[in-house]
Amino acid sequence: MDDCPLTNRNRRQFTAQACRVVLVGLLVTGGVASAMSEAGVAPKTHVITIENMRFNPEVLTVQRGDRVVWVNKDLFPHTATADNKAFDSRSIEPNASWTYEARKAGEYAYVCTFHPTMKAKLTVL
Amino acid sequence: MKILHAACSGLLIFAAAGAWAQSGGPTDPQIAAIVVTANQVDIDAGKLAESVSQSKEIKQFAQLMITDHGAVNKSATELVHKLHVQPESNATSQSLKQGGDDNLAALKKLKGGAFDRAYIDHEVAYHQSVIEALDKTLIPSAKNEELKALLVKVRPAFVAHLDHAKQLQTSLEKSGG
Repeated sequence: MDDCPLTNRNRRQFTAQACRVVLVGLLVTGGVASAMSEAGVAPKTHVITIENMRFNPEVLTVQRGDRVVWVNKDLFPHTATADNKAFDSRSIEPNASWTYEARKAGEYAYVCTFHPTMKAKLTVL
Repeated sequence: MKILHAACSGLLIFAAAGAWAQSGGPTDPQIAAIVVTANQVDIDAGKLAESVSQSKEIKQFAQLMITDHGAVNKSATELVHKLHVQPESNATSQSLKQGGDDNLAALKKLKGGAFDRAYIDHEVAYHQSVIEALDKTLIPSAKNEELKALLVKVRPAFVAHLDHAKQLQTSLEKSGG
């Protein structure tokens, strides 16, 4: 019976200790995770296929630091040109590609300057 | 008069395409000749427009037609060589050639805004006719899978060209140029 309060106290201490460990662990993990994203570790590469006179996907969202590759699978040259000229691939020949490193956040509507009916949007977070 | 001319060019292709309905459609060698002629006709019109037109937009469109239709013909020619198909002249390819020659002759008499309008009017009618021919005659009739696939692959370009030409047609009407 005498041991019971102690045991309970020990249990409480153990539980509290465990909570602190988990809490610290979460903080550390969260900290590392946010540090990784801020540092742009391992940026992703996104592929936009140009085929059948369309950009596919037509709407894409990427993180700053990511790479976007436009691959032209059509028989014709195309471009990926932002309306505000933030980026401009110039002519991408058939079976060729163009890579853009998305450094600046924003929403970029873009077109193929050769084929003005081809419209799409890239969002950089 | 110009609209009538453009409409007639379109009708000529429809009439020729309609003739296939009774004969079971063109053969692959005939389709090859139709595709190559259809593209060449538009390349020739594009070359004339690029040299005659004073409009930046019209010149850009004409250059696009030369590039894109040239690309289609390059692929078509490579494919017929690979398949050992000899393009075979036929009523449709001949009427396309005649329509193209008539168009060039009519355009050569025009200048400035009148030239631009006539060129674009014809481009709208021409692309509408070719899309119609692709859908009703050429794609359904193609026997070889690679030839059929090429026709399917180029179709969206003709649609994009048609929309582009219609946009230019509207802006020419608005500007009264």
